[in-house]
Amino acid sequence: MTGRLRTLWTRLRGTVRREDEERDLEFRDEIEEHVRLLAERYQREGMAADDAVLAARRQFGSTTLLEEDRRDMQVIPALEALRADLIYALRMLRKNPGFAAAAILTLALGIGANTAIFTVCNAVLFKPLPYAEPNRIVTLWERQKDGALGEVAPANFVDWQNSSRSFSAMGAMRARSFASSFVLGGQREASRLAGGDVSSGFFPVLGVRFLLGRNFLPEEDRSGGNRVAILSYPTWRDRFGSDRDIVGKSISLDSQSYTVVGVLPADFRFGSAAADFEPRSQPDVWIPLALDPRKLQRGAHMFHVIARLAPGVTLAQARAELDLIGANLARAYPDQDRDRGIAAVPMADRVTETVRGPLRMLLGAVGLVLLIACANVANLLLSRAAARQTEMAVRVALGASRRRLAQQLLTESLMLAGIGGAAGLLVALAVTRALAPHLPPDLSRAAGMAGDVRVLAFTAVISLATGILFGLAPLVGMRRVSAGESLKQSFRVAGSSHSRLRNVLAVAQISIAIVLLIGAGLMAKSLWALMHVPPGFRADNILTARLSLPPSYSDNKKIVAFERQLLETLDRKPGVQSAGLATYLPLGGLDNDASFIVEGRPPLPVGMYNPAEYRPASAGYFETIGIPVKRGRTFAPADTADAPWVTVINESMARQYWERRDPIGQRIQFGPGDPWRTVIGVVGDVRYEGLDGETKPEMYVPMDQSFNTESGPTLVLRTALDPGAAARELRATVAAMDREIPVDQIQTMKQVVSGSVAQPRFRTVILAAFSILALVMASIGIYGVMNYLVIQRTREFAIRMSMGATRADVLRLVLGRAAALIGAGLCLGLAGSVGLVRVIAGLLFGTAPLDPLAFAAAPTLLAGVALAASYLPASRATRVDPMIALRCD
Amino acid sequence: MAKGKPDARKKSDVLQGTLDLMILKTLQGMGPLHGFGIARRLEQLSEEVLRLNEGTVYTSLLRLQQAGWIVAEWGASENNRKAKFYSITKSGRKQLAKETEDWERISGVIGRVLRLASEES
Repeated sequence: MTGRLRTLWTRLRGTVRREDEERDLEFRDEIEEHVRLLAERYQREGMAADDAVLAARRQFGSTTLLEEDRRDMQVIPALEALRADLIYALRMLRKNPGFAAAAILTLALGIGANTAIFTVCNAVLFKPLPYAEPNRIVTLWERQKDGALGEVAPANFVDWQNSSRSFSAMGAMRARSFASSFVLGGQREASRLAGGDVSSGFFPVLGVRFLLGRNFLPEEDRSGGNRVAILSYPTWRDRFGSDRDIVGKSISLDSQSYTVVGVLPADFRFGSAAADFEPRSQPDVWIPLALDPRKLQRGAHMFHVIARLAPGVTLAQARAELDLIGANLARAYPDQDRDRGIAAVPMADRVTETVRGPLRMLLGAVGLVLLIACANVANLLLSRAAARQTEMAVRVALGASRRRLAQQLLTESLMLAGIGGAAGLLVALAVTRALAPHLPPDLSRAAGMAGDVRVLAFTAVISLATGILFGLAPLVGMRRVSAGESLKQSFRVAGSSHSRLRNVLAVAQISIAIVLLIGAGLMAKSLWALMHVPPGFRADNILTARLSLPPSYSDNKKIVAFERQLLETLDRKPGVQSAGLATYLPLGGLDNDASFIVEGRPPLPVGMYNPAEYRPASAGYFETIGIPVKRGRTFAPADTADAPWVTVINESMARQYWERRDPIGQRIQFGPGDPWRTVIGVVGDVRYEGLDGETKPEMYVPMDQSFNTESGPTLVLRTALDPGAAARELRATVAAMDREIPVDQIQTMKQVVSGSVAQPRFRTVILAAFSILALVMASIGIYGVMNYLVIQRTREFAIRMSMGATRADVLRLVLGRAAALIGAGLCLGLAGSVGLVRVIAGLLFGTAPLDPLAFAAAPTLLAGVALAASYLPASRATRVDPMIALRCD
Repeated sequence: MAKGKPDARKKSDVLQGTLDLMILKTLQGMGPLHGFGIARRLEQLSEEVLRLNEGTVYTSLLRLQQAGWIVAEWGASENNRKAKFYSITKSGRKQLAKETEDWERISGVIGRVLRLASEES
């Protein structure tokens, strides 16, 4: 056993480290000496000197074979062969720099694009969420009768928390539309901090390890508890200069003193949906929910609830328990909880829900690009195989087995793939760097993406797979290589099987490229349709900004007075056409709905609601943002809190609740005790939730008559000034009125609209880039095939031309062949597309999967480019000089 | 060329094994020897083994060196020429003892079987 191990070891050493020549010589000396001694002996026995040497040599046997045996014994033959193949492959690449560059570039692009997309997918889909044991975390939702998942009412959250046994921790966070917001005081300049209101169980569910300090204590998460706060890392770093002794110190939020108890780690992010993970959507400061057990609401749904499965509890068991709790609550509180269940969704599923489809589509598309790249490299290898026919024949004649030849060819392919893969990693690095700043919000988890082990493994695997895939091409038909025949006929027996394979590859490339082009066409058309959805307002020349009124404006009257004065001042500014305020802006991501009753109608049955979006807005808002008035009037400065209470509804609401009757003059009420509001006008529908969203019933109320006057309204300004100047003007105006009021989130409405389609645009642009790459590669592919065809048939063309064929005839001949290949590819590609568009149908907006424009434009484009690519070799064929072509070879 | 090769290899493996064993035995019995000396000694023992291809001794010597059963040293031959002397190592002796035992056992078994067979027939 030890003997065998030692043998293996010396052989391995021999393979890796080359034997020095001295020892080769020594061995030869030893053998020569042996032969000499033998010869001397024969001579002593009476042979003639010459005969003795011959006899000695005969007796000794072949020294060449012996030396070969010795060489083989000192290495591991398979490894040695590999080594030789690698060296040979490198030499071949160096000798054919053009071929090497083309193949490596193609592979680098293909593998690089794949690695880049995989890096994004890895960061967003495959990597576990950045929490302790993330697969044990679930999000909990109220399931409505129609199956829709909604936010959770505070009273329900408390009941779930108290009655469930399946979870080791449960926590709630107020949804963003209801989150608190603070003005941070005690600093040089007032600034607004976005608040995160969470229960004391929230951070333990995620298993957060605080950078400094600790989580909220349960007694701090009670109404009337001490005011405490946890800082986000950026807030701690930027506002408090990374003060390591911050814990225990007081900070001023809305002019009230809060004690800092903890600081979150730098990489902490939380979200209930993919887009929430964007850094600027993260709260700046976290405070306890501090629910008052005596005033828990069951009708207002505003919490995001998360929970950690207790050890040993499965998701199914937890769901069963939640169903039970849900049923009990529905019985106990039929008014609010009837027909409401409880849904548990693994957090990872929840936060990848919206991006899974688009990312899978991109991953599939980029895989197709790689297939085209493979076909291209296979084509290149086939051309080389043709040129190396003689070399291969010589090798066969010298005794190389076919298997050995295949091994060598495959080694060369894998080496190409390896180099291409390494270059692809660099390409991917560059691409991800370039992509990072343009990621849409719901892919923001990929922002800090870096190549990790998984990415490296992916690149290695696809490089290997591509290497084998295109490396197989030259092996096709190799069985037919017969040494004698091949040597005799020189390189012209490139083999009909290779020609056929090249044609198949070209057709495949064209058909895959068609699929990608059609996909990109559909996406582009869909994006165009999305961007041309009438949003219900006029986005041009609108500047929006958020104001944060400090706590000195605690009095509604003061807020109203400030708002009135601000609008009047702005209206008078030159360049400002009009100004208005609203709590919720279209496409702003925040929303709130309320249930109402109509005067004179029978009361709603228990558990039934008339929901409509609730939107406080000022006088001038509709005119400024350009929401058209359909009937009646909009708000006027005279609609104050003391005037009769009024409301403006949208067309959807008028249609849904009044059908053909006239809603103007009708009165509605939000709840018992709320004053009756008279409908004074009907305005157009607005796409608040997104350009691809539905329009919902909406009711606007004057800011002055809102039941919870908002201290952070959004200002809209219609102005002819450029955005920069308008922003400066706005800041100056607000500062002149009150230095304490922060103005932030200044952006044009066009930016808001554009931001709302960031994801569809991102995927469309990427897919378009892929399809252009595919188009180029497929065209190079068809060029290669036609070029080869022309070279191969040069003699034939020469004969034809010497027999009287015109250049046009030859051109027609070559292009006809190209057209046949392209046509076959188009047919296959179109057929494949019809099947494949179903996959992306869900990602399309306002575009039929079989959109005739996309299905016509893509083949036309591809056919045009591919024919143009074929024209180059075709025209070369017409310039063949018959005399030269026929004389050569 | 490829056909029939596996069989040839198998046969020569058996022969190689025998040769290895004989060289080990020779070196144990006679102390350090150079290649030519080993060949002559083997010739004395059995003309058959080396009748055609004396060079195979060197293949065997290499193999034994790789396994660590023998070592080589440069020295001077009888007529004062530079020569490589091979000697058996400790693990080589152990291997020889083991192989000898195996050999005897197997040849004993085979002998008995053959005797039995001839008695029956």
